[in-house]
Amino acid sequence: MEKRIIAAQKEFNLRKFFFQWEWMLVLILIIINIINASLSPYYLNFKSIIDATMTFLDKAFIVLPMAFVIILGDIDISVASTVALSSVVMAVSYNNLGLPMELAMVICLVVGTLCGLINGLLITKFKELSAVIVTLSTMIIYRGIAYIILEDQASGKFPQWFSYLGWGYVGGIPFILIVFAIFAVIFGLLLHKTTFGRRVYAMGNNITASRFSGVQVDKIKTVIFTLAGFMSGVTALFLTSKMGSTRPNVATGYELDVIAMVVLGGVSTSGGKGRIIGTILSIFVIGLLRYGLGLKNVPAQMLLIIIGLLLVIAVMIPNIKINTGKAHKLHKTKA
Amino acid sequence: MSEYVLELKSISKSFPGVKALDNVQFNLKSGEIHALVGENGAGKSTFIKIITGVHHQDEGEIYLNGQQVEIRDPNEAQKMGIAAIYQHVTCYPDLSVTENIFMGHEKIKRFSKRILWEEMHSEAKKLLDNLGADIDPRSQMGALSVAQQQIVEIAKALSLNAKIIIMDEPTAALTKKESEELYRITEQLRDNGASIIFISHRLEDMYRLASRVSVLRDGKYIGTWNVNEISKEDLIVAMVGREITQLFPKKEAKIGEELLRIEGLGKTGFFADISFTLHKGEILGLTGLIGAGRSEVCQAIFGIMPYDKGKVYLEGKEVKINNPLDAMKLGIGYLPEDRQKQGLVLQWEISKNITLSTLDKLCNKGWLNASREAEVAKELSEKVNVKANSVFDTVSSLSGGNQQKVIVAKLLNADLKVIILDEPTKGVDVGAKSAIHEIMSDLACQGYGIIMISSEMPEVLGMSDRIIVMREGRITAVFDREDATQEAILEAAMVNRAERELAGVR
Repeated sequence: MEKRIIAAQKEFNLRKFFFQWEWMLVLILIIINIINASLSPYYLNFKSIIDATMTFLDKAFIVLPMAFVIILGDIDISVASTVALSSVVMAVSYNNLGLPMELAMVICLVVGTLCGLINGLLITKFKELSAVIVTLSTMIIYRGIAYIILEDQASGKFPQWFSYLGWGYVGGIPFILIVFAIFAVIFGLLLHKTTFGRRVYAMGNNITASRFSGVQVDKIKTVIFTLAGFMSGVTALFLTSKMGSTRPNVATGYELDVIAMVVLGGVSTSGGKGRIIGTILSIFVIGLLRYGLGLKNVPAQMLLIIIGLLLVIAVMIPNIKINTGKAHKLHKTKA
Repeated sequence: MSEYVLELKSISKSFPGVKALDNVQFNLKSGEIHALVGENGAGKSTFIKIITGVHHQDEGEIYLNGQQVEIRDPNEAQKMGIAAIYQHVTCYPDLSVTENIFMGHEKIKRFSKRILWEEMHSEAKKLLDNLGADIDPRSQMGALSVAQQQIVEIAKALSLNAKIIIMDEPTAALTKKESEELYRITEQLRDNGASIIFISHRLEDMYRLASRVSVLRDGKYIGTWNVNEISKEDLIVAMVGREITQLFPKKEAKIGEELLRIEGLGKTGFFADISFTLHKGEILGLTGLIGAGRSEVCQAIFGIMPYDKGKVYLEGKEVKINNPLDAMKLGIGYLPEDRQKQGLVLQWEISKNITLSTLDKLCNKGWLNASREAEVAKELSEKVNVKANSVFDTVSSLSGGNQQKVIVAKLLNADLKVIILDEPTKGVDVGAKSAIHEIMSDLACQGYGIIMISSEMPEVLGMSDRIIVMREGRITAVFDREDATQEAILEAAMVNRAERELAGVR
């Protein structure tokens, strides 16, 4: 039998390179910036855009692990409640228990991580429960605990230096942007350059085949939900710092914003597809859109409608993309 | 009026790539129990699906009470009085027995469309009582045993006035006592004038119940006999009597020391008392009918489905395997039966599929080495001769045989000693089939121990050094290559051992 030579070099396909959702996001981002600039003469300068990121980057931390969760084909809707609980526990540790602020901040991250770990364990130990149901339950529970601890009160009076987290600059660049950039690089590398990331994609595409291939599916799933909890803790730190105080109802609705950002970023809700770069672009799309409309004093209701429309588009887009992807493939096999 | 309630003449049916039925005939007398037997893949299911209107024949005619009919969909079959009862009952487990019986033909008041619950419950009770079953029609379907659910299905058929009842392996999931109960009901149905087509892998079912038996083999009609006129041996010959024409490129491999030893492996409800050994260079054929527990045994060894009894020894040392990762670390690999669901990530390219189970070899502290990955994939896919242009082709674009080769390549990259192949040539074309057989043979020569699960008799006989036959979760026979015949294997797979000894059959 003749032996066939199989190529091991990737061909660069210009068409395929430009046929990516991320380019579409770049285009949308440019359009939004043009609109914003025409709405407000003060918008279009570097410092203004950079400053704008401070207003929306707090929830962006959760977008990164949420991309992993959705690539798995799961969802986590408890993240906003996790933010509230971590934030409230931190405030109470400092204000009521008299712990040093540094320790309270660590506690904040630990609480977030634990919340995520609990989600992960429940989902992997009780296979009949779907991630939606588990995180819906814990969403209510975590928020409920936050209310029990603080009883609809606000808790503030943090040390002066704590506000630096949310409002500080390093060399003219917001501290929050730098921290986000670091996390974004870490998560991007984790997803695209490591065996862990490869296994996440495998699970999202075919969890049975992954199991048969020796992928420790339960372990990976638990780690990812725990990461989502940890990053919710990070968000709690920055959000609390920005607001200067916290209440049990902080971050309400964040889970929807976060999921919208991930899905708009090209991550398919059926799992297995999407990239970190797309989700990062979509954070800026939604964030800057909101900021620009705010500049022009567009009423809040209007903002909601536009965000809602974006959500619809975000849900529709993966389907459109799949269709065109198929057409592309057909074309290729014919040629 | 015709002597037959149902008559099928020269029925043929093809699916892409296979001729499932070729010129098959069949007839059913009024008030008889007619058994339909054949090996896995003989075409019984397709045949039944044509009668029940799930599939439509390409050629041939169907006569119902002497009238030619067209059965275009299951609804029409139902209206003609044809009902089927399956091994895996298709029911609504959360609804009541009554609702299951009357699903689709509920009794309602003419104008208000109100459901007449009381009438339905009492009617259901009457049907069940007539069958001699003590089942409360208000109880939940899912709470019943499989045997009881089948009785409810029969009641449903009767509520539809079914005159022709098809039972597809109804006893497969039943205990001896439950089977007896089902026999009694079946006979009662017959005595009340229904005609029954009874499909079963258990020959004793057939001898106990049926008056006539028809045999299918490889989609062809072999013949019909009166049950008391044909012996078990002749029946088995009728079922397997094919010439083995395919060539198997089996090379003689040197059989070395013991690799794997299984002692008394068991899992409640699936298999029990499984013991065997596997040596270096040996191909061990594991055969039996579908549902005999072959895949379950191998999946237990591979750690997918934990076993609850018994021991596994690898190279003389006892090992405990909790998950597939453990198994692969120890050197046991498994090629699953359903390659599209269990074996491959279809949307992915060849290279990623090949390396998925061995990523740890291609990384440095978790960082993937992409160029090394592509090289390894290239080397392996050339070794098994995958027909592709690039290792970056997606596997969904490959043919079944080439997809299977990709999975084999994936196993080769792991440092394995034992390779379990579950139906390795199922659904692949002839060319790829012999290529896979050649690869298997080569692997055995290289000293791998291979367990091959297969339902295909020529493949089992052609490739195996030893053959283990399973029936209903137990090993019923072990043959050496020289001693194995199609007839002996099929008998071990189908006939109850106790009964075999009683009947004085070898």
